[in-house]
Amino acid sequence: MNILLSTLYASLGTLCFAVLFHVPQRHYIRCAAVGGVGWLVYLLAMALGAGCVSATLAASVPLALLSRWYAVKARAPATVFLLCGIFPLVPGAGIYYTAYYFVSGQMALFSAKLAEVIKVALALSVGIAVVLSVPLPHSHVYGPKGEVEKAAPFSHFLH
Amino acid sequence: MFAQNPTPEQRRRALELVMEIGAALMENGAEVFRVQQTMYIIAHALHLREFTVYVIANGIFATAGTNELSALRHIPICGMHLGRVTELNALSRDMAEGRVENITQAEMRVAFIRAMPPSPPWAQVAASGAGAAFFAMMFGGTLADGLAAAACGSALGCFQGWSERHSMAPIFARLLGSALVYLLGQSIAAACAAVQPDAAIIGALLVLTPGVAFTSAVRDLLHGDYLSGSIRLTDAFLSAGAMACGVFVSYKLIEWGRALL
Repeated sequence: MNILLSTLYASLGTLCFAVLFHVPQRHYIRCAAVGGVGWLVYLLAMALGAGCVSATLAASVPLALLSRWYAVKARAPATVFLLCGIFPLVPGAGIYYTAYYFVSGQMALFSAKLAEVIKVALALSVGIAVVLSVPLPHSHVYGPKGEVEKAAPFSHFLH
Repeated sequence: MFAQNPTPEQRRRALELVMEIGAALMENGAEVFRVQQTMYIIAHALHLREFTVYVIANGIFATAGTNELSALRHIPICGMHLGRVTELNALSRDMAEGRVENITQAEMRVAFIRAMPPSPPWAQVAASGAGAAFFAMMFGGTLADGLAAAACGSALGCFQGWSERHSMAPIFARLLGSALVYLLGQSIAAACAAVQPDAAIIGALLVLTPGVAFTSAVRDLLHGDYLSGSIRLTDAFLSAGAMACGVFVSYKLIEWGRALL
């Protein structure tokens, strides 16, 4: 299937989730971009032959980077972009198939799918956590030449 | 500007405001470290000295001074409103940078933020339906699958609005929601040959996936907030389990229905 079309659907789906989470309207497009970037990188990694766990890990890095970038640019918590943007990568399909194989008694498929869901969820959160834990350069936190009052610890706004 | 040396009455009022902001952040989906740091920043801006706070996923404990002031809030795990988190974040920036005139103004802004309405029910239903449709097509579904997913997603949106108004237990609401999606998706697929049930159901189920709880849980854990992380992780696992149970219930219902016919 066409990668770009799929990415467009991912962005629009993320935008709908931004509405569900009551994100302010001025941030809708940024949320959509974050969701689209994550899914695009995921598809590209899959096309290059990565498994779905490594592809999720690869996709979570640009996703988290973009959320952080928007957090600085738009002066909003990164959570706003991140929580909406991860939805294309969240293993919702995996949870469904795990339940389905379990009830239909296909135990080998069930355990394989369950392990995959856990691995994907871990890859997603580890990728995000690593990117968000890297400290920002001092000048990005306080503004060039200490424009902003130094006494106030602003670094947390950028997580 | 805020009083440099607040009187005991002003200190009490400042602590009340800091607690109010912390509780509002936590209720609306902020992480533990964000709540904690925001509370410290605001206490600093209000010159509330000797302020200490301990935040876990469902409660806040704070004291100011050795023995004189303490406060405690219980925060049930509930819905998300990222608009309120964004506005509270802006308020804390403004207070730290000295753009808020006095404490009354800050209190009014908090009251205003807490009263921010959620998006109207029709928008929630529409977003749920459209989101389900786009995600179904993103996973390779056809337009027909997308339309079926939109039907499932809108039904789920209506059900979620109804269950919230009647304050149904969240886990149970998730179970029933996923049962509803599976039943509806299979019925549509049975009625219309062009629809793949899996694609439509997965699109709509994504609305119920505890992705937010799981991501917050891992962020809390990696931050060293093990207690909050465990609380949220339990929430995420139980929610995923409830989703799976919903599919189970509907699968069995369909099986029995077929056997009876």
